[in-house]
Amino acid sequence: MIENMKQVLKETFPDIALRLSADSRGIVTIMGECDTWQKVVDVGHLAAAQPGVKNIVNELTVKGMAIPQKDYTPYCKKGEELGVVENVDIVIVGAGISGCGIARELSKYKLNILVVDMGDDVATGATKANNGDIHPGHAAKPGTLKAKLNVLGNRMYTKWSQELGFELQRCGAMYVITDNRYLYALEKALALAKTNEVDGVELVDGKRALQLEPKLAEVGVQPVAALWLPSMGLVEPYKVAVALAENATQNGVRFWFNCVVGDVLAENGEVRGIVTSKGIIRASYVINCAGIYADEISAMAGDKSYTIHPRKGTIAILDKNTAPEFDSMTGVFSGVSNVKKNSESKGGGMCRTPEWNILLGPSATEVPDKEDIATTPEDLSYAMGTNQNPKAGYSNIIRFFAGSRPADYMEDFVIEMSPVTHGFVNVGAIQSPGLASAPAIAEMVEGILKRDFEDRGGMPINPAFSPIRHREVEFRHLTREQQDELIRRDPRYGRIICRCETITEGEIMDAIHSSVVPTSIDAIKRRTRAGMGRCQGGFCQSRVLEILARELGLDWVDVNLKGEGTNVLVASNRPKITEEREGGFERTSG
Amino acid sequence: MKELRVDIAVIGGGPAGLAAALEAKRCGVEKIMIIERDTELGGILQQCIHDGFGLHRFQKRMSGGQYAQSFIDEVEQTDIEVKLDTMVLEITSENAIYACNKQDGMLKIVCGAIILAMGCRERTASQVMIYGYRPAGVLTAGKVQQYINMEGYLPGKNAVILGSGDIGLIMARRMTLEHIHVIGVYEVMSTPGGLTRNIVQCLNDYQIPLHLATTVTCIHGKDRIEGVTVAKVDEKRNVIPGTEEYIPCDLLVLAVGLIPENELSVKAGIEIDPHTKGPVLDNYFMTSIPGIFAAGNVAAVFDLVDYVSQSGEIAARGAAAYIKGELTKEPSFELVVPGENVNFIVPQRLRKGECKDETVFFMRVKTPRKMAIMEFQCGDKTLLTRRCQYVAPPEMLSCKVAVTEDGSPLRIDMKEAEIR
Repeated sequence: MIENMKQVLKETFPDIALRLSADSRGIVTIMGECDTWQKVVDVGHLAAAQPGVKNIVNELTVKGMAIPQKDYTPYCKKGEELGVVENVDIVIVGAGISGCGIARELSKYKLNILVVDMGDDVATGATKANNGDIHPGHAAKPGTLKAKLNVLGNRMYTKWSQELGFELQRCGAMYVITDNRYLYALEKALALAKTNEVDGVELVDGKRALQLEPKLAEVGVQPVAALWLPSMGLVEPYKVAVALAENATQNGVRFWFNCVVGDVLAENGEVRGIVTSKGIIRASYVINCAGIYADEISAMAGDKSYTIHPRKGTIAILDKNTAPEFDSMTGVFSGVSNVKKNSESKGGGMCRTPEWNILLGPSATEVPDKEDIATTPEDLSYAMGTNQNPKAGYSNIIRFFAGSRPADYMEDFVIEMSPVTHGFVNVGAIQSPGLASAPAIAEMVEGILKRDFEDRGGMPINPAFSPIRHREVEFRHLTREQQDELIRRDPRYGRIICRCETITEGEIMDAIHSSVVPTSIDAIKRRTRAGMGRCQGGFCQSRVLEILARELGLDWVDVNLKGEGTNVLVASNRPKITEEREGGFERTSG
Repeated sequence: MKELRVDIAVIGGGPAGLAAALEAKRCGVEKIMIIERDTELGGILQQCIHDGFGLHRFQKRMSGGQYAQSFIDEVEQTDIEVKLDTMVLEITSENAIYACNKQDGMLKIVCGAIILAMGCRERTASQVMIYGYRPAGVLTAGKVQQYINMEGYLPGKNAVILGSGDIGLIMARRMTLEHIHVIGVYEVMSTPGGLTRNIVQCLNDYQIPLHLATTVTCIHGKDRIEGVTVAKVDEKRNVIPGTEEYIPCDLLVLAVGLIPENELSVKAGIEIDPHTKGPVLDNYFMTSIPGIFAAGNVAAVFDLVDYVSQSGEIAARGAAAYIKGELTKEPSFELVVPGENVNFIVPQRLRKGECKDETVFFMRVKTPRKMAIMEFQCGDKTLLTRRCQYVAPPEMLSCKVAVTEDGSPLRIDMKEAEIR
């Protein structure tokens, strides 16, 4: 395998001196030096495409470039100082969509489960920067874990949304052609979707396409045929994570935030726990859902078996005053694409949020720094290039942001009990369609643990488990009569905090007093939408800050925008009222 | 649900709304209600503790709070009803208002007429295409003003200000007085965005540098802001490569423009002028929907509060005339056309046969001129010619014209003139 791979890589990259090695599992490690980061990524992808490869550990460097590395020593030191603080059955590293989904799934069992995350809340990594598409599963490469889990996960979302009380809109997706010349493309896509067993997919004629999406006619599109994918759905990804985490908490799971993993403990091929900035957590199982850092956590467990290469995506959210043209996710294919797509990456297109903002992007840019989520004009221009609505443009943008996809070189998920360290479960490289796959990923991990528990009589059932989480009050979606009734029941719903999105003090109070407590302004935003509208908190930020300070007993200068060290205010500019002067300042007369 | 009936509802209790409510009372309107989202009246004036308000109206220098208070005191002498901490959610097609608060729950307020006085909001970092990270320490100037003046907190110690509009200039001085080091004010345009008096009193007097044709392109720092990249721009506002400079700071203050808050208006179906970003108004300051009037910054962003109050009074007289049935039901309109070097003009149209009194116009020019001749022309007739010394986009021009109609649109030019 190695000899063949060397040959292939040498042909394509003759200038790079590569050192390759492989283990019995088919994990190939690549070392050497390239002149650009893109070449590092290209070599990794080409190597991954060779037969017999299970995964790639890419240790290539770039000449003259210091690739940022996370330094774990302070967290290890802190953890060792604090000593053993917990002894649990399962510790889940990462509270993104995967970690939260798994935590909730495993809360069915009477196990001591702890979820740790380096952020101050759930969904502070890739999940919060996801576009919320519950893909039908038509685009994944057949035979991959992605293809299998996407279709299964998509199907399971209906139950998730019903049990967990979050908004899921099965809007459907449609690829429309206006010229029969492109019918072959639809037929090809249909065949692929059928191979992946995508639910309900069909090729429809122009008349049926217009019935399914009457708004096509309104914008003058005359479809001749379309690929119809009724299972396409939309969610707000952070709200799904919150719902999962809250339900898991109700069933006994605990969450620790601002808790950074410094090391994984293992002995004789068995995992023993993790060392974190909050102390050592002993555990029989460690489930690695660490997103962009999953490869590093796996290496800590002695299983260096894949490399995450961050792929940054920028998304633009537009003002609701420019309505999406279509109700379903509709793409009109005219033969020419105005965006240059990277074949490896799933760059996104025109979409909308469940709250009816146009959402454009994400772009897809390979970056060496895992924490690089800075936006650039080029990435935004890509995202804006996916826009098909002539009424929408740069002037309608209310927010643009970037996140990073945790991609490996196989461009597939890594979900397995580590063959090196027993008890350490990798849930790595969960990039698109990771959100859509999340329910199936959780079920798969449950299966892995179930099998492991078999010789011990199976996992003990949690008799108190309830799959139900009640949906929070959403004032904006009620009728005026219902709103009136609600305010009479609790007057705090009568005070609008966020004008743009019509979010009440009652909703913010509900969020703060929920089972997974949001402690920052952005955490409130993700739960309630306060600050998510066109003025971007220009009106409500100080009000949310005030409520957070009041409810959590914090000084105003200690209220964070989005995690530790992100305080909005740095100092008071008024003298402190001392006890003896309480009730006012003394006046000097004369 | 509580249902109320009023003759005139004023949405917003800032300077436009207060003046409108009082003028409506003077016109003999009985039931007037001001609906204010904040916990007190006065609007944005309450956080404007600097002086310079009321020079035209009261011939003295007042702080924003003082200016507002003189109106609030007057309102308190009347039977004008005030609903505080109350948010208007919707204006229906029957000119009823849905609003809610803690005490009343949801209110349906059936109105004889409505005066929109919701003011404006600030543009944000995403809306002016600043790239990079999204850390804490990036705030709009108005928010900084609120945190410092109202709440008593400082949002940073070393500030960069983007935008030389009046709010940016005022905040440069204000932050300096609070011992925040203002590193500089950066302005993308090649001329300052604010009034000359503010350049002098807020920047020059405190030796704060103003960098024209320079903008902030990138924000650095993942948690709290650590610095910004600034760069020179060409005439088309494109960044000139090679001029980028890194400026360390812990606060970026954005004073990059105001947008009239017309969400309610748009949802109600009111026609918006793309130049003012406010409703298209007639000479009574009535919008395209009969019975709905607009005044102040919701109609067009004003520079002086005195004009804002004046516009409120015009709209109130219009609303009073409307509910008394003094205005024709189905008027026809004559257009008011912005001509040479006129960016926008309010009102945008005149009610034919209903221009009894002198009409008040507010306008902004497109480019600065040392001397210009303001000309109002209706067909071949010149209604007004006035020499104006130094006109510039930041300064609003106001004038009263007795319009005599002859069936042609009214055209306004600001012709360049030589200094005599």
